[in-house]
Amino acid sequence: MEVEVDEKELKAAGAEPLTDGRHGLRIHGWEIESRKRSILKSSTLELWEKKLETYHMPEMVFGDSCLALKHFKSGFTIHFNAFDALVGWKKEALPPVEVPAAAQWKFRSKPSQQIILDYDYTFTTPYCGSETVKFDADKLEGGEISKDTCNLHWEDCNEKIDVVALASKEPILFYDEVVLYEDELADSGVSLLTVKVRVMPSCWFLLLRFWLRVDGALMRLRDTRMHCAFNDNASPTILRESCWREATFQALSAKGYPSEDAAYNDPSIISQRLPVIMHKTQKLKVPDNV
Amino acid sequence: MSDLDRQIEQLKKCEPLKESEVKALCLKAMEILVEESNVQRVDAPVTICGDIHGQFYDMKELFKVGGDCPKTNYLFLGDFVDRGFYSVETFLLLLALKVRYPDRITLIRGNHESRQITQVYGFYDECLRKYGSVNVWRYCTDIFDYLSLSALIENKIFSVHGGLSPAISTLDQIRTIDRKQEVPHDGAMCDLLWSDPEDIVDGWGLSPRGAGFLFGGSVVSSFNHANNIDYICRAHQLVMEGYKWMFNNQIVTVWSAPNYCYRCGNVAAILELDENLNKQFRVFDAAPQESRGTPAKKPAPDYFL
Repeated sequence: MEVEVDEKELKAAGAEPLTDGRHGLRIHGWEIESRKRSILKSSTLELWEKKLETYHMPEMVFGDSCLALKHFKSGFTIHFNAFDALVGWKKEALPPVEVPAAAQWKFRSKPSQQIILDYDYTFTTPYCGSETVKFDADKLEGGEISKDTCNLHWEDCNEKIDVVALASKEPILFYDEVVLYEDELADSGVSLLTVKVRVMPSCWFLLLRFWLRVDGALMRLRDTRMHCAFNDNASPTILRESCWREATFQALSAKGYPSEDAAYNDPSIISQRLPVIMHKTQKLKVPDNV
Repeated sequence: MSDLDRQIEQLKKCEPLKESEVKALCLKAMEILVEESNVQRVDAPVTICGDIHGQFYDMKELFKVGGDCPKTNYLFLGDFVDRGFYSVETFLLLLALKVRYPDRITLIRGNHESRQITQVYGFYDECLRKYGSVNVWRYCTDIFDYLSLSALIENKIFSVHGGLSPAISTLDQIRTIDRKQEVPHDGAMCDLLWSDPEDIVDGWGLSPRGAGFLFGGSVVSSFNHANNIDYICRAHQLVMEGYKWMFNNQIVTVWSAPNYCYRCGNVAAILELDENLNKQFRVFDAAPQESRGTPAKKPAPDYFL
């Protein structure tokens, strides 16, 4: 999903594209890179199953794909990947959602010694990104540490992402969308985790979206938006807004909305119809020196 | 050149037929399919293909690798439509080949060959977009009801789209199903098109969705033994490597849609059986971008919020 960007615009914004076939750019002390690869091979998938202590994985795991935003001065990186998202799924472990046909199936004569699987086949995750800090080799011993061991802290705040400013048609210097995992729920709907990013001369903005539609049963949308304005004189502050929405098909049809599955293919069009069940805004001040 | 041959040539160029031609083709196909058994007998040599999902240019790669019909005898395990961009052309080409060479190509039904599923996953919208009406969708979905449910190669290899059913222990039980209907939500016909093998159950398992059976190794062993078959060949599930054996080579999944949904990067496979039923998997990649009708469009920057 590459977008042609005018080289002049990049130059004027003080940005330079990444080289060596890498996809992304450097701008105001940030390096922003997307990587899109094939789904995992069966052997790697088995390895992940072991690590995650599960027998079940989404049908399409883009395990080598990611989006990473690295701040040079602090060594701070925020990145998005399927593995960490699946760790979140495993931990949240929601009860399974029943499809409408399940009601009929309850009356069906069952084979003896039938096992009923009861994991969360929707792969719903509370994931909202991963943070790491990498030290330079000459500082300390080098290496990577997680956010828990340094003083990275998302604090609740009242500021909001300025969507009005974001709606202005500032040129987009870099844009990409990366699918992290996807499952067709055995043709009973869709479960999709993607992250989209756009970088403008004044800021970067991204949307991590978990989208679930269980046909005839339920829709769930978990959005995380992040915004960071460029400022060369101060260490960056990242705003993060999480918004979870959810509705059953029954509730939507009671409100007079269509109840066919085909009406709900594009979450961005119908998101307003789904009631908000959780909303919070947080900020993170990237420290100068971790 | 007959009308049918001309239509096949046209479809091979990924140009859809006129609505009236589709109607006539479907009528002819119906006459052929209605005579087929629920367990259609197929002779070897034969080449078995899994899901295609409207990936027309990738199906052309399949024919490049496997050879043209009628020179090669084909068995397609269903899921011709939905998800890809060219369900109409894909299904009509296969159907035209079926009418032209009925003994050299066998098409059985997948779970996507259904009115309900095609309305959600693409084929209905594609027909509406390409013809301005849903008539072609109606002709095609009416034909879906006539497609056979399974095939039996030389009495030794049982082929089906999804898998087994707890309501079925013998092939004769499949033969008694009245198949000329929309795929039901439960029962033997539903299971044959929808069920999946599952490593972690031995006997039968129920999906966490509350509908849909999973079957384990012992179920496959007893089915194969009771029906005196060597193994089961099915499709229905994406496999990165194109094919996958399970349960000690008693069942194999064949997947024939490379780079599924134009983004998975997987390879596809077909299974060639010679006259002695010796197996050879032929693995292939997606068609190169430049051989597809339209170049990949670079999307405009998206001012998402």
